[in-house]
Amino acid sequence: MATVSETSTPAVKVKKSRRRGGIFDPTSILGYFMMLPAMVVLILFFAYPLGFEIYSSLTDMTLGNDAKFIGFDNYGSLLADPEFLTAAKNSFVYVTAVQLGKFVLGLGIAILLHQKLVARGFWRAVVLVPYAMPGFVAYLVWKLFYNPDVGSLNIILTKIGLIDAPIAFLGDRDWAMPAVIFATIWRGFPFWAIMFLAALQAVPKELYEAAAVDGANAWQRFKNISLPGIRPVVLVVFLISTINTINSFEAIWLTTAGGPSDATVILPIFAYRGLTSFNIGQSAAAALSLVPVALIFTYFILKRMKKDQ
Amino acid sequence: MARKNVKFSLFKYTMLMFVAIFVLYPVYYMITLSLRSQASLWSNPTLLPASDSSLENYRAAFASVEFTTSLKNSVIVCSSATILALVFGVMAAYSLTILKFRGRDTMGRVIIIAFLTPGALLFIPFAVIMANLNLSNSLKGLVLVYLSFMVPLATYLLLGFFRSLPPELEEAARIDGANRLQALWFVLVPLIAPGLISVAIITFTGAYNELLYSLVINVSPSVRTVPVAILNLSVADEVPWGRTMAYSSVAAIPIMVLYFLGQRFVVEGLQTGSVKG
Repeated sequence: MATVSETSTPAVKVKKSRRRGGIFDPTSILGYFMMLPAMVVLILFFAYPLGFEIYSSLTDMTLGNDAKFIGFDNYGSLLADPEFLTAAKNSFVYVTAVQLGKFVLGLGIAILLHQKLVARGFWRAVVLVPYAMPGFVAYLVWKLFYNPDVGSLNIILTKIGLIDAPIAFLGDRDWAMPAVIFATIWRGFPFWAIMFLAALQAVPKELYEAAAVDGANAWQRFKNISLPGIRPVVLVVFLISTINTINSFEAIWLTTAGGPSDATVILPIFAYRGLTSFNIGQSAAAALSLVPVALIFTYFILKRMKKDQ
Repeated sequence: MARKNVKFSLFKYTMLMFVAIFVLYPVYYMITLSLRSQASLWSNPTLLPASDSSLENYRAAFASVEFTTSLKNSVIVCSSATILALVFGVMAAYSLTILKFRGRDTMGRVIIIAFLTPGALLFIPFAVIMANLNLSNSLKGLVLVYLSFMVPLATYLLLGFFRSLPPELEEAARIDGANRLQALWFVLVPLIAPGLISVAIITFTGAYNELLYSLVINVSPSVRTVPVAILNLSVADEVPWGRTMAYSSVAAIPIMVLYFLGQRFVVEGLQTGSVKG
């Protein structure tokens, strides 16, 4: 009997306190308790490092030395540093081209997989392969593929007679960026393809049938039914994938390490070089230059999620 | 009409063949190259498996203490971090979806912001902080640093799974006499079990593939993870390709098999997280 009243009365209380939103009612206490581990991790290993980074970007900190506060000097000297400006420009070119490539390839392959196919599951598994391959392995394989002496791209191009002498794709100022972009697209497009495929499959079949009855052709059906159906997914995938691409240290570090002569330096590589020369204040400022971009994207994702709820 | 269909089928499968070659060639390339010595690469440039292929590079890989140690380190770091991230993630995602309390939306937003923060933003303070705490060059330190991105990732993905449960379910369990924690453990967790598998695979591989933090924080050979160990095979610009590809195959193939076996779960996890989250 006691258990019955215990379970029934709090249920009523909870309902009431939901409206009041008290922080001491049982639901709230349980809620805070359950959030505690994640919040502790985020305070110690997210908020604190971020605060530390902002602080060190305002000092002349180097490894092992006491830091002196120097205001915004680090940011000033960054904007005057041609290598930083190159890194910012390269980051923009790299991310834009990679995302465009992933979108086109991802959408094309999703449409292909959405057709009536024998063994669709098998083909989907094949498309997932680049995503399953660890990034550090994938980029090393691509580096070898582009190698002028032993790489198979040069062997192929020479055999079919397209080139006379091997090209050092990663060592050439004009080729390095496109080569790295292509490798990054290869590794990243499956995420887009799989997401687009799911979105296409979620569009009700009746819509297509109704449109076909009304005399819409394939292109009209695609434009008026498929595209609107996948639009919300495109947005979320685009935002998440762009953040990851801005972040892609390994794609560049393992292939060109930023070379030849800064041709493929992007912001994370620039910041890493600063750290290896122990210039902490300066490279903290460089890393923080990613924040405005990240903030814009976060704002759009949060807005989008609010709409979903 | 029938002829048009045959033509279209031919087109579809031809395109699929191109996609398959595009996607699988690097895997084929990695494996064939892993069977060759550095000298044979230079003397015999071929696209097909070479006649002088041998397992020598694999023998060298498993004989190398540095490499086997790095494999062990990776497994220890990634599995401990994955287990912690899953536990913390389930707790957080549960309270963010099922419970209603003041500050909930703010905490949810903090998780999303952390999820969306590029890792390249934080490696500099981590390098300094971990050195100051005497936690650099330790597996423990790396686990802690990895939690900084794995907990938000796990929580974000699990939010999608918790949201997909009917809200009446938890209430029904409580009406039947279960308390909140019993309802979570006996009713909700079993229902999102596929979600747990997918989140486990996604977070584990995320940690396994991580290069930057590991490179910055764990420098000494005894605590290196696999990517750093493979990178350290190269001396200056000289890359021993056959050995690098053999090490890479050993590192990549178990992960790729895991993905293949868990494919259904991984795809579902990515879709639930991104589409509904």
